[in-house]
Order: sequence, then C-alpha cells, then structure tokens
Amino acid sequence: MKPKVAFFDFTGCEGCQLNKLNFENELLDLLAHVDLVEFREAMDETSDEYDITFVEGSISSPSCVERIHDIRRRSKILVALGACAVNGGINAMKNIQPIEQVRETVYGQDKYRFATLPAMPISAIVAVDYEVRGCPMSQPDFLQLFKALVMGKTPPTYNYAVCVECKLEENECLLTKGQICLGPVTRAGCQAICPGVGQACIGCRGFVEGMNREAMVEILTEKGLSVDEAVKRLQLFNAYEVAV
Amino acid sequence: MECYHLAQKAVPDLLEHLKKIAPVYAPHQKGEKSYSFERVTHASEVVLDYNRTMLSLKKFFLPPTERLLQYSIQKQNVVEEEIKPEKRIFFGVHSYDMQAVLRLDHNMIEGHPEPNYILRRQDAIFIGISFEPDDYHFSRSVGIRVEEMEGFDLFLNKVDTNYYLFILNKEGSDLLKGFQKLKAVKDIVRFERNFKNKLKYHYNRIPEVFQHVYHSEVWQKVAERCVGCGTCNLMCPTCYCFDVMDDVALDVKSGERRRQWDGCMLTPFAEVAGGENFRDKYEQRTRHRVYRKFKYITDQEGVPWCVGCGRCTAFCPAGISLTDIVNNLIQDYENQQYAKTGVVA
Repeated sequence: MKPKVAFFDFTGCEGCQLNKLNFENELLDLLAHVDLVEFREAMDETSDEYDITFVEGSISSPSCVERIHDIRRRSKILVALGACAVNGGINAMKNIQPIEQVRETVYGQDKYRFATLPAMPISAIVAVDYEVRGCPMSQPDFLQLFKALVMGKTPPTYNYAVCVECKLEENECLLTKGQICLGPVTRAGCQAICPGVGQACIGCRGFVEGMNREAMVEILTEKGLSVDEAVKRLQLFNAYEVAV
Repeated sequence: MECYHLAQKAVPDLLEHLKKIAPVYAPHQKGEKSYSFERVTHASEVVLDYNRTMLSLKKFFLPPTERLLQYSIQKQNVVEEEIKPEKRIFFGVHSYDMQAVLRLDHNMIEGHPEPNYILRRQDAIFIGISFEPDDYHFSRSVGIRVEEMEGFDLFLNKVDTNYYLFILNKEGSDLLKGFQKLKAVKDIVRFERNFKNKLKYHYNRIPEVFQHVYHSEVWQKVAERCVGCGTCNLMCPTCYCFDVMDDVALDVKSGERRRQWDGCMLTPFAEVAGGENFRDKYEQRTRHRVYRKFKYITDQEGVPWCVGCGRCTAFCPAGISLTDIVNNLIQDYENQQYAKTGVVA
C-alpha cells in the first residue's frame, strides 16, 4: 500500500506548499509513490489518518496549538516544511517586539478579537520527525527527504555550514569581500544557492547545531555592524532561537 | 639543471605553445579579489602574480564531489565510474601547492592505493612559478622555499620583471621542443624572499612541542572565536577526508554513489550511530586538525603536513591564524619547560 500523504499550513505565506506544485518535471513520479489524501492548495478531499504529514508555517495562535495537536495525533510521520515550520521563520520577529504594539499594528482596534502567541516552530508544540529547511523550502532537499521516507531511510540533516557548499563550488567568499554573510553558521543543503550568485546568506535554513553565537556576532561586528545590528541579522529568520 | 631567460611578454606565447600539447590549467581571476585554477582558453586571462588560489590543485585529483558508481536494482548491476588518465599541464603552481600534491600522493598511494586519485594524477605535468609571500604565506617555516622545485617539470622564477626558466627533467625539456629559441642564463642570481608570517621554531622542533600541548588552554581560546564552518579543512591542500553517500533516483530502483569532501571541523564528522560524537566541542576539533598537520603524520614522515599556504588563515571568517595557534602553543610549551626546569627552552 502506498503511504497516505497530507499537507497542512499554519502561519506562513504558503510558498513552501506552492513550491511543490512547481515540481513540474518530477510531480508525476512523486505521486506514483504516494496517495495524496489532503492538500488544501491542490484538492478538495480530506482524510482522517496520514502516514506522512507535511506541515508548513509557524504556530502563532491558540487555535494553531489545538490544530497541530490534532494533526499530530492522526499522523505517523510528521515533517516540518520550510523556515516558518522548522525555526519559526520571519514570523518570529514579532517575538522581539512589544506584543501589544504588534497586535495594534496588525489588527488596529480589533486587536482584542484575535488571540495571539509568540511565533514558534512546530517542534515547540509537538514532536517533529523530520525537517525540510529554507525559505522557501529547497526542492532538492525535499526530494532527498521524500525518497528517503519512501524507502524507509533516515533523511540527511546537513548539520554543517553553508560555507562548506561554497567551498565545494569554489565560490568567492562574500565575507572576504566585506559583505555581511551568515554562511558560516547557517545550515547547508541549499547548495549555497545565494552566495553562488553573489547574494549573501541571510540564514533562512536556521543555524548549525550548537552555533557559536558570540563568535558569529564578533565576525559581523568586525565587518562594521554594531552588536545590536549583528544580532538583528541573526534574528531575521531565527528570532525564536536567537531571542534577545 | 638548465636555466634560460624568459621575458614576461613571452609567457602568453609559452602558454599557447603548451596548449597545443595538452590542456593547460592556470590561475585565473575569480570574483573580485580571488583566484582559481581554471582551464586556459585565452592566455591573456592567466594571472601570474597571484597570492593564492581558493582551492589548490587537489580539486583536480580528488574532486570536491565525484560519482563513484551507478547502480540499478532492476538490472541487478553496478557500473563503476571509468576514469581515463589525461595529460594535463598545471601552469603557474606555487611551490607549497606542489609540495601539497606530493603529500597527497603519500596519503593516496601508500598503503591503500586510491585508484581514482592515481588515474587523475598520473599524467599531470607541473610548471611552477615563484611568488611574493604576503601576510599569510609561511611555507618557509615548514621547510618550503618559494623556489623549491621538487615535483615540477619546469619552473619560472621571477627576476625583476622577467623570469628564469628552469628545465628540471626530460618531460620539461620535451615541453619546450619547438618553442622559440631561449637564451641561456650564464650567472644565476640567487636571492632570498622574505616571509612576514613565521613560526617561532624550526619545523624540526615542532613535534616535540606537540607532545606537551594536548591540554593547552590555547585550544579553548581558539574555540571561543571559531564558528566551526570547516573553511580551514576544505581549503587545506593536504586535507583529504571525504564522505560517501547514495543519491537515489525518483524511481527508487536506481541511483548513484557519490563522494564529497568532508572535514574534521564539522559536527557530523565524528558522529556515530546513536548520536554520540567523539569530538563534539570546537576545541577538540581544532586540536585534532592542527595535530593532523604537525604531529600525527609528521611523526611518521618527518615533515609537517602543513605546507604554509596560508589558506586556512586568509579565508577564515573569524580571522583565526594558524601561525598564531602554533606560536601560542610554542609559548605555552616554553612556559611549561621553564616551570619544570627553570631553563628557558
């Protein structure tokens, strides 16, 4: 029997889900391995139980908490998909601002009608089995994970820095050129796609395990940022992890 | 050893001449401030006065990533990658990078010969060039002069604005057959190039230092600034560790096996089943890396496995200097000796 697969979204732009519909060349081959039973962006049907569930977006309200618990109960394997689901993503920037101000900015005088929580990765609420990182999630990375799950293997985790992939490609180092690049502490798996075209890494894949944050802040201050600015750079996608 | 005059303006002619013999690889500008060895299409694009390329010649013999085999479960077969030996000319190589190839040869050929490396390496021709040591080079401290010619077939030593062209063996003289008439040098002017970056001890004394500094505080100090990105490993011309992984096709019935450079500064490197990590702290990793360069292999072979190219320092995002690490270890060693004996080491 083919595994039943579902997709769900929480707080996010839904770009990671859409990204999958962009698998134009591979989509049919992918579908040959699984039964897609629930995917709001692509179909109407729903299901009660899932073998593999992909969850996009971050947890940011009490209703999210309730819903993710329900999804988790009905899922054998749960995969967090993309920066918001894995690290909290850019949504978590709200955590480092006064919450009342955030609510007022977004909802104005209706702010009391919408309960809110600090933005959190899925793993802050329920157990997450695997992750596909990036903003948006990287397609090659998703394919690796997908194939591993279909074969019952453990997917790769890329617990090393983007610098590694830059070196394999012999890209010119952007830090050496004076740009503010987060490659030294950001998780690889993206084939250093941004630095490869001269665009500094902004940390969308989250950080390597046990990141030396003080040392990274020092690297950035050496390049001319203040400590405050350096921390803000790290927080762009990772304010949940790099809380003040 | 024959030596001839070669005018700087004749170098493009020499490159054009060599291109007729075999593909030529030489330093090119890459990006704004960096260099890399690339195949020569236009001789005018070759940069002769470069400080160092990002990757060394290692990338040609042990590629950053390579396919080892393809397999198919349906056909029940495995097809190993076929590597055809190819004559390639590496032009404008600095002495430390040549020495690094000779050290890699030892690692890849002695004991367990590595066929892919040998096939890619065996027909290589090396043409060296002198360099002006910058703030990072310290090859003299590990016993490699700018003009060290071991391993080369030809060597260009810059004198003022022109070159001395040394012919070092038969392969070298064969390369010059049919090239313009060269004028022999009568009196070779020898001069020493100064290195600003130095180790405090002669390299002969360094293994002794490393017997006493395993528990030095230096490692912890380095770890405070290190982010564990692995740049020092991946750019090191004598690091050769790799990881092997399978890439399965979407049909999940066929695929390929690849290998890719790995590095001991990276978290997964010493991680084993169950999640244990033998070196989970940055200070342990730096220590291991530096011991690999100055102690473990050096004890067996008598020369440092660091060639003093300065890449690990020049490209370290945190500005960690290898010569500072070693010099601080020497200082630590001297302090220990003084405390023990009252004698300055």
